[in-house]
Amino acid sequence: MYQYDVIDREFLTDRSNEFRHQVTRRLAGDLTEDQFKPLRLMNGLYLQLHAYMLRVAIPYGSLNSRQARRLAWIARTYDKGYGHMTTRQNIQFNWIKLKDAPDILDALAEVDLHAIQTSGNCIRNTTADPYAGATAEEIDDPRVWSEVIRQWSTLHPEFSYLPRKFKIAITGALTDRAAVKVHDIGLILRRARDGSLGFEVIVGGGQGRTPYVGPTIKHHLPASSLLSYLEAVLRVYNRHGRRDNIYKARIKILVAALGAEEFGRQVEEEWAKIDQSRADLGDQELARIRGAFAQTPFETLPARSEAFEAAKAASPSLARFARNNVKAHKKPGYAIVEVSLKAVGQTPGDATADQLDVVADLAERYSLDDLRVTHAQNLVLPHVKLDDLPAVHAALEAAGLATANIDLISDIIACPGLDYCALANARAIPIAQDIAKTFADPDRAETIGELKIKISGCINACGHHHVAHIGILGVDKKGEEFYQLSLGGSGAEDASIGKILGPALAADRVAPAIDTLVDTYLAARQGEERFLDTYRRVGLEPFKEAVYAQAD
Amino acid sequence: MKAVTANRLIDGEVVFWKEGAWVDGFGDAQLFDDAQGEEVEAAVAAGKAAPTVIVDPYPIDLITVEGLGLAPVSYRERIRALGPTNELLHGKQAEGGAVVEAIRHASGAARSTGRVDLIRRK
Repeated sequence: MYQYDVIDREFLTDRSNEFRHQVTRRLAGDLTEDQFKPLRLMNGLYLQLHAYMLRVAIPYGSLNSRQARRLAWIARTYDKGYGHMTTRQNIQFNWIKLKDAPDILDALAEVDLHAIQTSGNCIRNTTADPYAGATAEEIDDPRVWSEVIRQWSTLHPEFSYLPRKFKIAITGALTDRAAVKVHDIGLILRRARDGSLGFEVIVGGGQGRTPYVGPTIKHHLPASSLLSYLEAVLRVYNRHGRRDNIYKARIKILVAALGAEEFGRQVEEEWAKIDQSRADLGDQELARIRGAFAQTPFETLPARSEAFEAAKAASPSLARFARNNVKAHKKPGYAIVEVSLKAVGQTPGDATADQLDVVADLAERYSLDDLRVTHAQNLVLPHVKLDDLPAVHAALEAAGLATANIDLISDIIACPGLDYCALANARAIPIAQDIAKTFADPDRAETIGELKIKISGCINACGHHHVAHIGILGVDKKGEEFYQLSLGGSGAEDASIGKILGPALAADRVAPAIDTLVDTYLAARQGEERFLDTYRRVGLEPFKEAVYAQAD
Repeated sequence: MKAVTANRLIDGEVVFWKEGAWVDGFGDAQLFDDAQGEEVEAAVAAGKAAPTVIVDPYPIDLITVEGLGLAPVSYRERIRALGPTNELLHGKQAEGGAVVEAIRHASGAARSTGRVDLIRRK
């Protein structure tokens, strides 16, 4: 993984010292709240319902064991013992005190972590495929390019005061585990017919109040021109993006207003004015960054592990875990292991400090010191030897982390909702817990197959409900929590925005409605269809009738 | 009835106005009846005049919970007064007692469904 150098480290120390000074001035009354708020937000510190919340950046969702242990220590020392994984591969702490925040930033900086640009109208943490460097599907390693963007965009003076926040996601694989089509910019690494590396550039996707699947504005951008082209996109947005209306300020509104073709034309025009020899990364620097990711010390192993096969045959729980949480690795004898943070009764995406320590130990011992956070609020041990899978599974099971439900109905994305968030209209976590409880039977969950439920507590859509197979949006209806269901969304390579099923439901009717939707799907399913496939074939009506007929 | 609430600057803790000071518990909050609009405004003004102590003071509406006491009418405010409903030992609710029970049993605005126990976990 990428190692910070002296410049990176000095930079973080300076930033931390600066924030300490700002907090001191705020507490002394030398800064007003209006003056201080943007400063704390630039360091990822929000004031939520019960306390401050600190959002720590995990660049492209990648951590080493030392960093994970430090996050566990912060959870134990400054929080109530939990960290919450977010849909942008970051981690949030919900119980932070302002007076502790500078010490926490120091503790993060010691392990090359920070909270810079996890809030505010700037380029946020770039997200990437959590299987990067491990999946055979990959055309190129998206972490290399995410790191290039991280270095370029961090405190970039021209792009620190954009009309609105700006999110970039990258995948190097055709299977999209980074939701690239619903980002401000989505990048898909591709090879041209002549073998040259490039990006498909998607601009103006997004969720929130006005969801869009982003259009492609360039089919093959030469990889070496990435930064100059991004600069051109950002420049067009910075110039024409609306600053008069917060709801129309994202780039998706501009792209939709101009049309993808015209937006793309303006970007090309801007791009032509940029001196690429200045703006783009030189080959030497790119090679330096690439080198940091190329040194994974894989062993040469047989493709089949007799030890794993024997253990699997003897243990139904390991076999179930292998079916659902273990994914193919590019190297023979290795596997990608997903660690679900969605046990029944658990808060989706929450890990205790002890669990973080366990996973850190496993990453160090069994996964080449590499750990990932996924946008689905789970963790990944990307490089586990097949021989070690029984031991890893046993250790996860002992820590309550072996739930075998990746991409199944109980693997639910939920934002913190009204239990924590100052913006939320309704709670998301208890709804997720109700649904997980309804589908707690693992055999039934496997029979249902891939079904992605995503819940947001408000229209800002941090819970990605627009791109869920079944999306759930919390609304405030005459002072009460109600939930609007939508069907048929996808955040993957077959991206689509879900359609609203009908009138919002009371909280206690949501899980029964999901049950009805699932029964309707199972009755209509043909062959190996996923819920999403059946929905796309039969449409909304049968599902709508089933849910609302029952209500009458 | 009304109370005045805010978050404390130094730690973000939810606080309530009580006769010139900011206290942690909803049960200790000063209560204002409908005739005391000026006192409510004065409490909010006092909060705004103490920007190194608290952030964003505002009044909240209260309702009577039959036989149990008072609770904030909005469920957002009830969650603030209790703590998150997914972790019942986190936040102010950890202390338990009659005030917490009253808030947990409040049915809020309840205009559309008449549903009670809005924020109690099933």
